[in-house]
Amino acid sequence: MELRRASSLELDGGTPLHGGTELVPLLRSGIVQAETLVDIRGVVPRGIDGSTIGAGATLAELECDPQIPDALREACRLAASPQLRNVGSLGGNLLQSTRCWYWRLKWPCRLHRTSDGFGEECFAQEGEHREHAIFENGFCASAHPSDVAAALVALGATLRTNRRELPVADLYRLPSEDDRRTTTLEPGELLLSVELPQTDRSVYLKAMDRKSWGFPLVGVAAARTEGETRVALAGVAPIPWLLEGSLDDATPLPRNAYKVDVARALVKRAVSSLEAS
Amino acid sequence: MHSEVGTTLAEALRDELSLTGTKVACAEGHCGACTVLIDGVPTLSCITLVHTVGDAKVTTIEGLRDHPMVHAFVREDALQCGFCTPGQIVSAVALVDATPKPSTEEIRHAMAGNLCRCGAYPKIEEAIRTWQD
Amino acid sequence: MARLIRTEKEVEGRYEEVWLVVEEDALEQWPAGPREIVGRPATRIDGLERARGEAVYTADLKLPGMLHTAVLRSPYAHARVARIDLAPALALPGVHAAIGPGELDVLVEECGFQGVAVAAVCADTYAQARAALAAIEVDFEQLEVLIDPDEAVARGELIGEPRVRERGDLERGLAEADVVVTGEYRTQVVLHNSMETHQAVVQWLGDSLEVYISTQYIWGVRDEVSSSLGLPPDKVRVVCHYMGGGFGSKNEAGDFTFIAIELAKRTHRPVRCALTRREENLASGNRNATIQRLTIGARADGTLTALGGDYVNATGWGGWSSPVEGPMQMLYACENVKTTTWAAKINQPPMKAFRAPGFVEGTFGLESLLDVLAAKLDIDPLELRRHNYATNDAADGRPYSSKNLLECYRRAEPHWERRHEVRARSTETVKRGVGMASQIWYGGGGPPSYAWVRVGADGRATVVTAMQDIGTGTRTAMAQIAAEELGIPLAHVTVSLGDSARGPFASISAGSSTTPSMGPAVRAAAADARRQIEEIAEQRGTPDAPLGEIVGLLEDAQILGKGGRGPNPTGMQVLTFGVQVAEVAVDVETGEIWVDRIAAVHDVGRVINPLGASSQIEGGIIQGIGHTLSEHRLHDPRTGQILTTSLDAYKLPTFADVPEIVSELIDEPDMQLTNLGSKGLGEPPIVPVAAAISNAIRDATGAEVHELPISREEMLRALRAAALKEKVGAPAGI
Ligand SMILES: Cc1cc2nc3c(=O)[nH]c(=O)nc-3n(C[C@H](O)[C@H](O)[C@H](O)COP(=O)(O)OP(=O)(O)OC[C@H]3O[C@@H](n4cnc5c(N)ncnc54)[C@H](O)[C@@H]3O)c2cc1C
Ligand code: SF4
Ligand code: FES
Ligand code: FES
Repeated sequence: MELRRASSLELDGGTPLHGGTELVPLLRSGIVQAETLVDIRGVVPRGIDGSTIGAGATLAELECDPQIPDALREACRLAASPQLRNVGSLGGNLLQSTRCWYWRLKWPCRLHRTSDGFGEECFAQEGEHREHAIFENGFCASAHPSDVAAALVALGATLRTNRRELPVADLYRLPSEDDRRTTTLEPGELLLSVELPQTDRSVYLKAMDRKSWGFPLVGVAAARTEGETRVALAGVAPIPWLLEGSLDDATPLPRNAYKVDVARALVKRAVSSLEAS
Repeated sequence: MHSEVGTTLAEALRDELSLTGTKVACAEGHCGACTVLIDGVPTLSCITLVHTVGDAKVTTIEGLRDHPMVHAFVREDALQCGFCTPGQIVSAVALVDATPKPSTEEIRHAMAGNLCRCGAYPKIEEAIRTWQD
Repeated sequence: MARLIRTEKEVEGRYEEVWLVVEEDALEQWPAGPREIVGRPATRIDGLERARGEAVYTADLKLPGMLHTAVLRSPYAHARVARIDLAPALALPGVHAAIGPGELDVLVEECGFQGVAVAAVCADTYAQARAALAAIEVDFEQLEVLIDPDEAVARGELIGEPRVRERGDLERGLAEADVVVTGEYRTQVVLHNSMETHQAVVQWLGDSLEVYISTQYIWGVRDEVSSSLGLPPDKVRVVCHYMGGGFGSKNEAGDFTFIAIELAKRTHRPVRCALTRREENLASGNRNATIQRLTIGARADGTLTALGGDYVNATGWGGWSSPVEGPMQMLYACENVKTTTWAAKINQPPMKAFRAPGFVEGTFGLESLLDVLAAKLDIDPLELRRHNYATNDAADGRPYSSKNLLECYRRAEPHWERRHEVRARSTETVKRGVGMASQIWYGGGGPPSYAWVRVGADGRATVVTAMQDIGTGTRTAMAQIAAEELGIPLAHVTVSLGDSARGPFASISAGSSTTPSMGPAVRAAAADARRQIEEIAEQRGTPDAPLGEIVGLLEDAQILGKGGRGPNPTGMQVLTFGVQVAEVAVDVETGEIWVDRIAAVHDVGRVINPLGASSQIEGGIIQGIGHTLSEHRLHDPRTGQILTTSLDAYKLPTFADVPEIVSELIDEPDMQLTNLGSKGLGEPPIVPVAAAISNAIRDATGAEVHELPISREEMLRALRAAALKEKVGAPAGI
């Protein structure tokens, strides 16, 4: 393996490395292989300037910056641990892989490459799935772990890369038989910044198994602009989940129906707190 | 130091420099035992590649041995087996550098990334509260 | 005069008879209450080196030329090694040796659980060893897995015979009852997760062996290793100066030690074998899951007439059947009791002792159901417990050596009284309540254990004994005892421990036994030294001269005292007791639980170090909270493979999970027990935590919790069940 420092936004096939909190463990466990790592900390913007946030900003910077809307600030504050937030970047957070234990333990599931293509089974569906998805879990039942992404989706944020601009929600795609990817990031594409539109108020609520340092069992972000409220959830679908219909549409698996109850309560609270204030 | 790319800061410190004050309990970013300061910022050395450190200043427990926080930990009995303790002290020092008199809330928030299986938390909180005594 | 006697010895609730050489223990106990040094708070004498990162743990040890080991462990819960070829591993750079099934007892071909060792490689670096491991060619033939403990019992797949313990007549007791309550309770698999993983560094020196190991029992390791290798025991030196936690999982040598020994033998190099965190969570033991089907019968006045329990220990592929029925047998006076305990042999990693094994689980079931009974009878839970207080050992009628549980209850009253105020703070969605549970457990320690005390001309003393300090602060407690007995300042005592070649036999640090086992020996040794000094003073005609003056004459001469641990009182039951009161809040919509406060009152005899004791209580309670709310080893239901081997998936309590903890100790010496009157405190505090929390939840919400951990799903299930019951209407009263 080789490591170099990026001097421009063109990485020539290298794998971008920012804080490494996600990538380094994946490399060391052999889930990700890379010949060349490119330290992109010097080329990805990291400042916070009003409504524009560099993708290189750390979660620790975001959690205490008063310019940041509550939902995003709180999502950062409740994510991971202090040491991880100190180096974990916004961009890296948006691109983190699933925490599905089967995937992390390299079970040859639908999201893992095998010697001949991809795995054919989702082990979680008939296995242990208490932390898994309650929406869109028919192909892959993984639950998206990013608090931050849910907050950005609720806030209606836009993402700028070295190739394009897109709504944050469009960074994500549901994996399918023909295309197993969970993001639309192209090879060589770098996240550069996030643009936040004006919102009046926003909030983030999170349910975990312990009081801190837990991935979201359910995370609920809600943002209100000119009388309209957008709600997005973490931990309930393979991608950050914009709640357009109702939680009655959820299709929980046998051991995770509780997530529907939790989500319902948190959505109700998030929405009413925005209306009340 | 001539480590291969992929070597972590924790490995470099412990195996190559024999600075074994920094402990490794999980080696994958899940416990905080390996916390060191990089330019004053608490960082997990077990998932930091040593080649990314550059010329940043790394402070380990070896560099904090005479810090009043060490004595506060002993005085308040803020350690049991002691294996998580160097990491706890490193995090605590960074906290009080920024906030000399942290509130309970601030202590709990800043220390949430250092697991202690022995459960010394209440006494650690007390040590941080009284570190200047 | 030395005597050889036969006496009973208890560790973790298991009894055995041992031969013992005892000296006359002529020492009177000190009067109750704090002394000059004993009974007063002391900071750890080894605190500074630990805090400064100078203490060398096994994990930090580097011997010249040391090789590193990686172990191939079965990835499957049940499989047979169909083919294995180590040659490709041996061909890789840096690799010195590789061993597989048939070459060492702990390397197996028939894999009964995921994580059992199959092969091992050692190399110059750990990375090379890992790479070599990956190069081993191995085919596993997967076999049918059995993971459901009930099914294992039905099929007769058991470890040992079912344990039936019966007194009186359960059926008669049920017939006499005005009320009968039943309940099924389940507890999960919990992982020790000591911060330092299991590991050893070994080296051969000629025909002798040095084993540096993270262990709770250096003598146990010495005996296990020497007998399995056929070496004279003193050819095996076992060393553990500092260790990073054990909690019951480090009582034995373990596969890693034997692997390192064999590889060191083959390579003529020192060899390290250390488990990774992930291996630790597969192969180093666990608190096994249990299923408890319980029945309690009582008269309208609360008198218990019948206690019945069918217990299944999901023991795993090996291990022993923990005394999960212990609390039902021992906690309350009741004439008719019958318990049956099965140990299910399933394709899961073997259990190991974990802080009060069995009693934590059994107390959760029993004490939860007792509160259901209290509600049915409309009797205050604390009154119900007092009403059924046992004055002699409930199981066999023996007198207790001491028991101050009533005093614990009395001191718990102010905490218990808070429940009205706490409940009143409930809101529409956040319900608050208070619950309590009693604690019973062993902790008397036992013989043999020996110590030497050396006093030099400078008036300072060194305690020498080959025990280990696993983080409980025993080094400090021993120094306090010696300082007290010698009448010198604590700072003038050092303690040399952790080395089987440098000190006499000392007790295992498990079963809350270190202080009650070692303390009396240290005191006896210090008293022996003091007696010699007094004799010299007498001979010199200055009987009242201070110690410093007498030993000041010694130059290079030294006073050597020796002491042994006397037997436990014959015919008596030595136990620890306590009660905890928990205050919780429950969000009835999201199932979130907050433990706000736990008050703990325990009776463990004389307290040596109140500071260290409060740390032990806090640590036990915090582990208990993890056990109750968030920790859960999960497995794939189809294959039995473990899914939570890393600390992101297996959720230990963090700083943010810690409640206010108020602790109190009765501090009454047990007058029957040794020259100290101290019992152990390592385990009692974890015993009642889960039950107190689940009872508080019931108090807050009316919901009956039946499973640990009380995850969101269990909490919401219990709330739904309670709501349904209310809708259907409470069952007719008594
Ligand atoms: C134990 C643990 C707990 C956590 N808990 C939470 C939680 O509760 N909630 C939550 O939301 N998150 C959580 N996280 C995720 C954490 O926030 C992310 O790991 C972190 O933000 C990633 O940032 P990084 O800079 O370290 O990314 P890296 O590890 O450097 O990179 C991650 C991935 O993104 C790619 N990448 C990084 N930056 C860019 C860029 N600018 N453009 C293109 N590609 C890029 C990398 O190639 C890599 O694939 C947790 C992580 C850990 C390890
Ligand atoms: S949930 Fe997705 S990642 Fe997990 S096993 Fe199923 S397909 Fe794989
Ligand atoms: S050792 Fe680095 S976080 Fe656990
Ligand atoms: S003191 Fe043992 S893990 Fe913290």
